[in-house]
Amino acid sequence: MKKTLTVNLGGTVFHIDEDAYQLLDKYLSNLRIHFNKEEGADEIMSDFELRISEILNERVRLGNEVITLGHVEGVIKRMGKVEELFGEEPFSSAGNRQTHHTADEAGKERVNRRLFRNPDDRILGGICGGLAAYLGWDPTPVRLLIFLLMFFFGIIIPIYFILWLIIPMAHTATEKLQMRGESITVENIGKTVTDGFERVSSNVNDYLSSGKPRTALQRIADGLVDILGVILKAIAVLAGIILFPPLLFVLFILFIVIIALVAGGIGGGFGLLYHLMPYADWNMLNQYPEWTLLVAGICTVLLIGIPVISILYAVCSRIFKFKSLPNGVKWALLTFWFIALALNIFFAVRYGIPFWGDLNHWPWRPSYWRNIVQMLHV
Amino acid sequence: MNAENVKSQMRKGTLEYCILLLLKKEAAYTSDIIQKLQEAKLIVVEGTLYPLLTRLKNSELLSYQWIESTQGPPRKYYKLTEKGEIFLSELEISWQELNDTINHIRNN
Repeated sequence: MKKTLTVNLGGTVFHIDEDAYQLLDKYLSNLRIHFNKEEGADEIMSDFELRISEILNERVRLGNEVITLGHVEGVIKRMGKVEELFGEEPFSSAGNRQTHHTADEAGKERVNRRLFRNPDDRILGGICGGLAAYLGWDPTPVRLLIFLLMFFFGIIIPIYFILWLIIPMAHTATEKLQMRGESITVENIGKTVTDGFERVSSNVNDYLSSGKPRTALQRIADGLVDILGVILKAIAVLAGIILFPPLLFVLFILFIVIIALVAGGIGGGFGLLYHLMPYADWNMLNQYPEWTLLVAGICTVLLIGIPVISILYAVCSRIFKFKSLPNGVKWALLTFWFIALALNIFFAVRYGIPFWGDLNHWPWRPSYWRNIVQMLHV
Repeated sequence: MNAENVKSQMRKGTLEYCILLLLKKEAAYTSDIIQKLQEAKLIVVEGTLYPLLTRLKNSELLSYQWIESTQGPPRKYYKLTEKGEIFLSELEISWQELNDTINHIRNN
């Protein structure tokens, strides 16, 4: 007994066996992928569909109520397999195809692979599946390796759980392609989506939500994960209630420590500056108008602070998954940075040179460093 | 470099010319074109033809109408356009030249 589907092919309705449907669907989507680059792809595809519909119609007229796998195989043999049709493409010259090919490969190389957890191939979280996709390996050896390594290096177990927390799951078609390092083209996305669709459709009775049927091992793992999740959540809530006041206190202390460190850093920085520029005329600072010192100070902070904070923010947003900064803010920061740079250059030229003192004591002269060494000894 | 490959390249190189020649004689349904080409042992699978016909149509060498056939739904009925005829006459000249070249090389 076989399940049949009803399909509309070129305007005619056919009853078709499920396996036959899948073969035909794969054939047509393969053709579409190949023709997609071409002008008039829709028309070519509808020509194919119409012709296939005609051929199948003959079968129906001969008394076959249902289209079977054999019929579809016959159709494909008559129309030509995809490899036959494109293996020896005469219309574009060999040279063209060569360049096309290399362009394709270059595209593949340019794609950044990204590490995701693989939702389609997972036992515990999909980390090994994702890692395998990232490395282009088969998942089973990766799992075996990790499993064996666990006995020798216990540290792998906590690392595994940390990775589970940090690495995101590949949800969208684009992410799945990035996970496997395939280039993100319309065709590839289409293929991934169709793949997913096929998986759902072929197991529609068993598992609507997940693609593949889960093996027994995977289902045991799923159960464990559920139980673990509940326990962990309960612990987290309890811990939150109990630890909240002390946690706040710790944060407060941490905050004060950071402030102290920053203050110390600034003080130390000035001390260092004083030592590095022993010949600077520090008294001259008094002669400058106060606002110049203030503006120069702010500019210096911006000049150093903006890149440091941006980098820190970018790193944190990667790790903790906040949104990265909106583009407007990025441009504003960049603009501020350039203004600060310009002002600093201005101050350096206008006030810095007299402040520095004798040109002979500038850092590019060995005498400068000799003097510093002497100073430090004294 | 294998013989099959070169042979099929040669066959396919002449395919456009042959389609235009067939349609010069008379307009035809796609299925007729396929049948005649198969009789002439020029193509093996039908799928080769659809993209080619669409390309020829897009370059305005062919045009088609949807015409009801006796059996089933309306089908594309292709005919040669004026531009197609000019194109064909150019191809005929170059085919003649090619023929001469081959004969010349063969006989000397």
